[in-house]
Amino acid sequence: MNRRAGMDIARHRGRVAHDGSRLLGLFLLLCLLVAAASWSVAMGATRIPLPTIWAAVVDLDGSREHLLVMTIRLPRVLAAVLAGSALAVSGAIMQAVTNNPLASPGLLGINAGAAFAVVLVMTLFGAGVGDIYMWFAFAGAGAAALLVYAMGSFGPAGHSTIGLVIAGAVVATFLTALTSAVLIFDQNTLDAVRLWTAGSVSGRTMAQNAGVAPYIVAGLAVGLLLGRHLVTLSLGAEAARSLGQNPAVWRAISIGVVILLAGSAVSLAGPIGFVGLVVPHIARLTIGVDYRWIVPFSAVGGALLVVVADLAGRMIFGSQDFPVGVTTALIGAPFFLWLARSRAGSAT
Amino acid sequence: MTRWLVLLAILLVGMVMASLALGDIALSWRDLWETLVGSQDVSPQNAVIVFDLRLPRVLLAVLVGAALATAGTITLAVMRNPLAEPGVLGINSGAAAAVVAVIVLMRDPPVLLLPAAGFLGASAMAAAVFLLSWRAGTSSLRIILIGIGLGSLASAATTFLSAFGEIGNVQRAMIWLAGSVYDADISKVRFLFLWLIIPLALAWMASRELDLIRFGDDAARSFGQPVDRIRGLMIVLCTLICGAAVAAAGLIGFVGLVAPHVASRLVGPSHARILPVAVLCGAILVVAADLVGRLIIAPIQLPAGIVTGLIGAPFFASLLWKRRHVRG
Repeated sequence: MNRRAGMDIARHRGRVAHDGSRLLGLFLLLCLLVAAASWSVAMGATRIPLPTIWAAVVDLDGSREHLLVMTIRLPRVLAAVLAGSALAVSGAIMQAVTNNPLASPGLLGINAGAAFAVVLVMTLFGAGVGDIYMWFAFAGAGAAALLVYAMGSFGPAGHSTIGLVIAGAVVATFLTALTSAVLIFDQNTLDAVRLWTAGSVSGRTMAQNAGVAPYIVAGLAVGLLLGRHLVTLSLGAEAARSLGQNPAVWRAISIGVVILLAGSAVSLAGPIGFVGLVVPHIARLTIGVDYRWIVPFSAVGGALLVVVADLAGRMIFGSQDFPVGVTTALIGAPFFLWLARSRAGSAT
Repeated sequence: MTRWLVLLAILLVGMVMASLALGDIALSWRDLWETLVGSQDVSPQNAVIVFDLRLPRVLLAVLVGAALATAGTITLAVMRNPLAEPGVLGINSGAAAAVVAVIVLMRDPPVLLLPAAGFLGASAMAAAVFLLSWRAGTSSLRIILIGIGLGSLASAATTFLSAFGEIGNVQRAMIWLAGSVYDADISKVRFLFLWLIIPLALAWMASRELDLIRFGDDAARSFGQPVDRIRGLMIVLCTLICGAAVAAAGLIGFVGLVAPHVASRLVGPSHARILPVAVLCGAILVVAADLVGRLIIAPIQLPAGIVTGLIGAPFFASLLWKRRHVRG
């Protein structure tokens, strides 16, 4: 209660100043992202100076370094940016819609659906088909999420959040069980799929990025516009209704955005759980509970985390294939633990 | 409530009997009965099948199901979150990381090391979550957040080991992770029973405290409950119960989440009623899962943890669907 009262007072004192510092923070974070991304493109077995990178982007001359930038380094960094921002924003939206700190895109069955689809395709048709996995992952994620949403909508009074949460747990459990049933009997598929399930942006191509970029950009745009409605939704259905919002409609739109974003991200980079769960919490603990700010901060912060995690995997562990899903947790979790310990209040 | 208890108890006994009778060599009900009562003209083969092979396994399933359900009920009440299951405390991720590390990194680990590592991993993790979230008291939200953070670190370790470990070891680790009651023997059952009996009794005796703490810290405090101490004690109980179940049978998911939900839908919000019903539901779920896993694609056996997901999840969904007009 104290915190909420304190926030009200802060709002009265100087909302403009407060928003101004948030905007500055967002800008700094964006600069940090650009710096990290450029550094990530520059670093590697061959170091490439920044001017050469820039030249490769604006005017490709076909030299070895230019090709290295355009076909290997840049696609990889772009994939990290796209996946990171999409996962973080979809996580923020999920936590607002369900009003539950344990919610993440995985709760809609997205990770489980994508993993099951990929494993199924690999078992039936053998490993090594390349780009096709992406679209199966996307389809699996979308189908699972729609199923969860349909089941969750049958709760009392039409659309209850509890219904959605439980339906998500049910579908995710079912699909995960199916996936492990396949994997414990099929060693070849397990071998082929285990790096994918760890989450990776290694070896992504421009074409793959371009395939999902439109969905992610559209999802991010709608997510940014949703901010005000997310604040209202996170207060619960009754409060939302009394504020003149139709919670069912906005919940449906929000879930649609989550499916678009998280589905694309998972098909691009594999089921990375950490980003969607934790980055929104980091944003909330740092800048407060206003989703108009949580969404943009999550977008930039998520991208930054995945880019840095990928860079760290390459630099520290010296391996092109070190799964980014592991390094995001290694880098992000200590920071998150410190934040949660020092900032999370005794309310609730 | 008595009606439900009796009904579920009958169902459980039926499941246990079916598990004893069915399998690669099916016994007739009459043979089973004669073996159980120890009549003279029973073949020694049947006695071995029932007492040495099937009974320990069924009893282990009963114990594990009961333990998971109790631990789930406690977490649900203490965390006040419909998604909370013992895994929130890091028990599952801690046990998984420890066991996968043992399987992948050690050559020929001794048999007893796996459950020991599982239990140690689980309790170390739960202790770390509780201690890190302690700052002049705890709060459910802080425990949940710290649990997410530490849990994701442990999962990162598991992911790393399974991405780069030797593939045969990784597959063995996956089977353990899936959760099963394959390697049950009567000494394991006896040990688990003795281990669980006191924490389970304590949990049931504390049902009033669970009722109070679920209302929120302030409300519970105004009823005179020392909230932080009770929460700490409950987490210790939960770790003892769930850590032992995980050590004995691996990660059988879903039971801890679903059994308390089903129980509270059946008998209402009081924990003195929820706990026994949840215990029965959990035991039925695991026994049934093990039975189905043995029969469905025999002679190959599916781990019980996979079957709880495969049959438990749709069953629970249908329960939701049927009772969708009931506010619960």
